[in-house]
Amino acid sequence: MRKLFWLLVAVLVMSAALAQQTRLRVFVGGQQRPDVMRKIFDLYQSKNPGVRVDLEVGGATSDQQQQYLTTVLASRDPSIDIILIDVIRPAQYLASRWADTLDKYLPAASRQNLLRQYLPAYSQANVINGQLVALPGFADAMFLYYRADLLEKYGFRPPTTWDEAIQQAQTILQRENNPNLNGIGFIGAPAEGTVCTFLLPVWAAGGDVTNAQGQFSLTVEQAQRALQFWVGLMDQRVSPPNMAEKPQDTIRSEMQAGRWVFGTMFAYAWNRFQNDADSQVKGRIGVVPLPAFAGGRQASCLGGWQWTVSDFSRNKAQAHKLVRFLSSPEVSKILAIDASNLPVFPALYRDPDILRVNPWFGQALPVVQAARARPQHPRYAEISEVIRVTTNQVLARQKTPEQGAREIVTRLQAIYGGR
Amino acid sequence: MIQPQSRIRRSLGDLSERALAFWLLVPAALLLGLVALYPVGRLLYTSLFRRRLTDETGNSPVFVGLDNFVQAFSDERFWTALWNTLLIVLVTVPGALVVGLGLALLANLPFRVKWPVRLGLLLPWALPLVFAGLIFRWFFDSQYGVINDVIVRLGGERLLWVTTPELLFWAICLSIIWKSSSFVALILLAGLQVIPRELYESAAVDGANRWQSFWRITLPLLLPAILVAAIFRTITAFQTFDIPFAMQNGGSSFETLAMYVRTMSIENLNFGYGSALAVLMFLISFVVTLVYLRYVRGADD
Repeated sequence: MRKLFWLLVAVLVMSAALAQQTRLRVFVGGQQRPDVMRKIFDLYQSKNPGVRVDLEVGGATSDQQQQYLTTVLASRDPSIDIILIDVIRPAQYLASRWADTLDKYLPAASRQNLLRQYLPAYSQANVINGQLVALPGFADAMFLYYRADLLEKYGFRPPTTWDEAIQQAQTILQRENNPNLNGIGFIGAPAEGTVCTFLLPVWAAGGDVTNAQGQFSLTVEQAQRALQFWVGLMDQRVSPPNMAEKPQDTIRSEMQAGRWVFGTMFAYAWNRFQNDADSQVKGRIGVVPLPAFAGGRQASCLGGWQWTVSDFSRNKAQAHKLVRFLSSPEVSKILAIDASNLPVFPALYRDPDILRVNPWFGQALPVVQAARARPQHPRYAEISEVIRVTTNQVLARQKTPEQGAREIVTRLQAIYGGR
Repeated sequence: MIQPQSRIRRSLGDLSERALAFWLLVPAALLLGLVALYPVGRLLYTSLFRRRLTDETGNSPVFVGLDNFVQAFSDERFWTALWNTLLIVLVTVPGALVVGLGLALLANLPFRVKWPVRLGLLLPWALPLVFAGLIFRWFFDSQYGVINDVIVRLGGERLLWVTTPELLFWAICLSIIWKSSSFVALILLAGLQVIPRELYESAAVDGANRWQSFWRITLPLLLPAILVAAIFRTITAFQTFDIPFAMQNGGSSFETLAMYVRTMSIENLNFGYGSALAVLMFLISFVVTLVYLRYVRGADD
């Protein structure tokens, strides 16, 4: 008994000594380049000797990370202080009261000044019901990657409309006559990226899930046309019949092995094509804004990742300070150079150091500026499930585009109606 | 003055056998209460509330009585998930029993070196379910999978195993049977080894052939072991989650009850309704377990 008592005293003394130094635990996903993040945290530690930043690395996709975080946050676990969350999540984090809103650290005037520096899409995405839930870490949007060597060989310019892309793909596939080469790659597996696949043609046709007042406004016709467009790519044989199996990273690794002419993907793919040791397409990939749909409209899907402070953190003030650093131009530049993450500050798209590594960032700014956001809703997880699973089933030909469209609209209506 | 130690000894000695048994069982009962009764009780409690982390009921749940259960009974997705789970039970339990019996008979043959067979039996059982799911996901991949490769070499057409519902169901069943038959085989092998050799010898003397001695001796004497394996397999089959989940990239075209419970709670953050679904699943497992207990008691008599 006495031994146990002294052991307890020793533990208490030691923990008091450790408490002199603030320890912050930051959660990032496996695909968020933990190596680059570590470098950034080391930089922060060298500037703030009293703070130690620990890195916790989660799963490789947005859904996997959130499943783990749900368990941690629903049990009010204080072990994680700062979380890097997907652009679709701030509304849910606010509704669940998982985020320590940043307003109390920022007087109204300085909050406005701060938010004005970012790309408008991100100041909007992070302010929910007037409360600042998170600050932007890096931007993202979908682009069209193409095989520059193949397009050049047949005298094509990068396509600006989908019709052009389809024609080019058909010609190249026919003339190359290579059974391992596919035409247009798009995300079709029942993962988060498929929500973007569904919404791209909807946006291009002038529609959206909600109207400007936030009321549900998607029509069956819009949904059906969107689904029909992607099924049509398979019918025209520019996309193989197994698109329902393909998550984004499969398209990326296949394109890296030289198996696609075109691929629609988020910005992260560029760095992998250029720098991965196993890349067969180094220097042979070009990237342009997504083509326009018939009618001349272009649309891209807004991605991007945000830093938020857990409401269960025991070091909120220190965590907030670190979040301000992580959402600064300095860090945005490091992420752009080392991880090809798109900056959240418009000025950085003209930064010579960044353009040297990512020459296409020059064209990327208008795409990010025009990119559309997926619906903001506390029950986004359910909205996402309805869209991605149904779209996947239509691509797998388990449902016709019409059946799928009806199902998506009916089920989304129920969610927006509070049922 | 009495020494403290001897006092304890005396007070323990004073206890009747019944009281002693009580105190010795207390730690086990507490542990069981903590890891089994408390969570199940908590689950029952939560299932009576509307509690969604996506709105204000996340922090202040609203009591709704049996509403969540009423909702479940009119929820088409619940019935589909239940039906899918039943199909998995109906196909994979007999499937694993047949394959497991074959494996057990094989392993029971008088091999000179026994360990490779035993190892082969144990490996699928020792492999985590998710790994099995991921491995079979690759086997059934339409483009890179070994199954389609064989089909194409034999002159067939590539099949979209993972995204065609009927094919997906059989792909899932096949994976589950592969994974679970080694568990069945282990139990049956133990059963086989207690069957006295003399029975076969006297049967041989009486002129019975191998087939006859299998039907007349092996199978009847193995029946208790088969029943135990069947019941254990049924309970786990009702909880099927990992393999179909991993094989569909987390999608839910083919959804079992356990998968629906997870989606509702962990993804949609609807803990009230998710708990009600979990309670229904618990009740099913409970009934199957009761059948098992009845059987065990019957065997004791």
